[in-house]
Amino acid sequence: MSALSVNRALTLLLLIALVAAPPLLGWMEVDFWLVVLTEILIWGLLASSANLLFGQVGLLSFGQALYFGFGMYGVAIGIDRFGLGLWPAMGLGIAASLGMAAVAGLVAVRLTWHYFAIITVVFSLIFYFLALRLKPITGGDDGLSFAAPPILDWGSLRLTLGDDATQYWFVLLIVVLAFALQARLRASALGRAFAAVREGERKASLLGIDVLRVRWIAFVIAGGLAGLAGALFALFGRYASATHMYYTVSGEAVVWTVLGGAGTLLGPAIGAALLILVREELSTVWEHYPLIVGALTIAVVVFAPKGIAGGWNLMLARVLGR
Amino acid sequence: MTHRRSFLQTAFAGGLASVAITRDLYAQASGPIVIGHQIELTGGFSSWGYWHDKAAKAAAKLINEGGGIAGRRLDLVTEDTESNPAAGARKLRSLVQRNRASFIQGSVHSGVMLASIPLAAELKTIYFSTGEATEATGSRGSRWAFRTGSDTYSLAGAAAPWAFNNLGKTWTMIFPDYAWGHSHYQEHKAVIERLGGKVYDPIAVPLDARDLLPYLTRIPQDTEVLFSVFFGAQSIAFYTQAKSMGLARTMRMYSVSGTIEAIAPEDIDGAAEGVVVVENFPRVLSAKDDEFHREHLRLMEVDDVHAREASSRRVYAKSHAWQAWENLFLLKRAIESSGWRTKRDDPGVVEALEGMEMPNSLAHPQGAKTLRKQDHSGMVDTYISRVTNNVLAPVHKVTKESLAENLPPRFDFSTQAL
Repeated sequence: MSALSVNRALTLLLLIALVAAPPLLGWMEVDFWLVVLTEILIWGLLASSANLLFGQVGLLSFGQALYFGFGMYGVAIGIDRFGLGLWPAMGLGIAASLGMAAVAGLVAVRLTWHYFAIITVVFSLIFYFLALRLKPITGGDDGLSFAAPPILDWGSLRLTLGDDATQYWFVLLIVVLAFALQARLRASALGRAFAAVREGERKASLLGIDVLRVRWIAFVIAGGLAGLAGALFALFGRYASATHMYYTVSGEAVVWTVLGGAGTLLGPAIGAALLILVREELSTVWEHYPLIVGALTIAVVVFAPKGIAGGWNLMLARVLGR
Repeated sequence: MTHRRSFLQTAFAGGLASVAITRDLYAQASGPIVIGHQIELTGGFSSWGYWHDKAAKAAAKLINEGGGIAGRRLDLVTEDTESNPAAGARKLRSLVQRNRASFIQGSVHSGVMLASIPLAAELKTIYFSTGEATEATGSRGSRWAFRTGSDTYSLAGAAAPWAFNNLGKTWTMIFPDYAWGHSHYQEHKAVIERLGGKVYDPIAVPLDARDLLPYLTRIPQDTEVLFSVFFGAQSIAFYTQAKSMGLARTMRMYSVSGTIEAIAPEDIDGAAEGVVVVENFPRVLSAKDDEFHREHLRLMEVDDVHAREASSRRVYAKSHAWQAWENLFLLKRAIESSGWRTKRDDPGVVEALEGMEMPNSLAHPQGAKTLRKQDHSGMVDTYISRVTNNVLAPVHKVTKESLAENLPPRFDFSTQAL
């Protein structure tokens, strides 16, 4: 048995468990955790966008919150100001984040390492402060709250986000599709070009790869994934706020990625899940819980530098003798 | 007080044991009644949140010592919003869905309460706002949202005419750039302009600004009344920097209670001397000297003049935190009078709350008041006070009756379906 087949079997089991979560958690009388699980899926998707840049292309971005915010505001403004339905509003959010990433990427991908990280923070800060100032459009510091339109309203069939299980399955479906897309991408020629650029841009260019173009494509796709996460988060919270565009949110996505295992498909989502569960358990006990989260993160980074998924893969390779 | 169920505990210890239990959120007709408290223990509003927490816990203790609510123990569960709307909305969901809170005593942070109100309506849970942005019982309100205290509409209606007649007719307003500040600006502007006064362009200050000089220098020279709305560290920055610029020499300083809430004038070296403030619950006992007020101050462990805590330098955020005390007693009355047993009976509590009269009592030490049926707003006595020799004491009182007469309801939530 190969490590790949073990991981595939575990992923399938995880998917079955995720699909069965609503009745399972209901049966355990802990249905609140379905809401937390929904949140984990969304944040896991944001972490995967940071991972696409860092883990696959070697670009450390502290600016994914910007595209997350565009996704959020696209949905909120679409529903609250333009009266759009759920799907068109989501489309608006994703289109806005893709457009923003396409423009910002033209500048950002020309830089690498700390210069790249700094420019992503700068973009994030500019639009964070703009969102705060453009109160008539964004709601400023108060943000925008709205009532979510139905997912589907067809005759007697009406699916709404007001039902926690429906909301969860809706988010799960979209997140699973987004991860499936990323899995396909990794196996494609473009995915191999990402890896080649990560391993060495000079070598990649000698192989005929247009490095800047590949980086830009990765940047736009990552922006779109972050925007999709933001759109889902706005629908989940019925709310959009500039606080989610701040670079610390991007920093959290990077921490989840590193903790879970940069470069792996599911590692960032596992990192997000772990830290969100820790937050949920600790925040009701001690309001200064981020100190413990920070200490835990440092411990994992020091003792398992490849993250949880990376550590798991190493262990699996050792056990299976390859 | 706190009852919560950990995911890990349940998953690994109690999960299997719950197999035989028929789960029904609405089936608990006995046992403790859980009330969730959504407050600011950290972040910009933490100096107020401390008092909301203390007031609610003191009230819950008093209620439980008196036999609880309808013979059932009151369990108060507290969640910190981190003074952040997104975190606040998440904590509201946690209180209702995780802690099974049947009712919510909500945030004083306008952004948090506005993010929470639609969620509370979706969860069909009664939510008491304690912030002042008028939208909470206005354009963003719902049948599930109530507010016992003042909002910007009532504060402007109660005190702005007095300030117009006694302080000056040309106004400039400076405030933090979020719902609370803008709401005060809009409501006060409407009143002052209706009275024939002049209102200059507003000066909205970013929430994180500590150096206010760039904003204070924009105040027009011929301003007669400088109306300020700030909280916490920004209040201190405002008073001290306005004093250093000598603004009080050319204009009258007028504020809402929030600007001086949890701040003792003596702690800012007289920077607030002469400032006129609109209060809901006068800081000095002598302004409403009765046994209920006295006992309330004793239980809150604060003095009669500065409302300072006996064991610390903290000053009671009295004009807002009284709601955290009174709302628990109000809920107790509504629950008992409606015969509430489970969440299924919530509509009865909503109907009982609408139009409820509250007598001056230990349950309502701020004074007698009405929770108006149509707009779910509290009609309360309002005090206009001045800082003299570092003591904030009333110079004028606006009764709840005159307030109600001058402020007709602009919304009617009582017609919404439950």
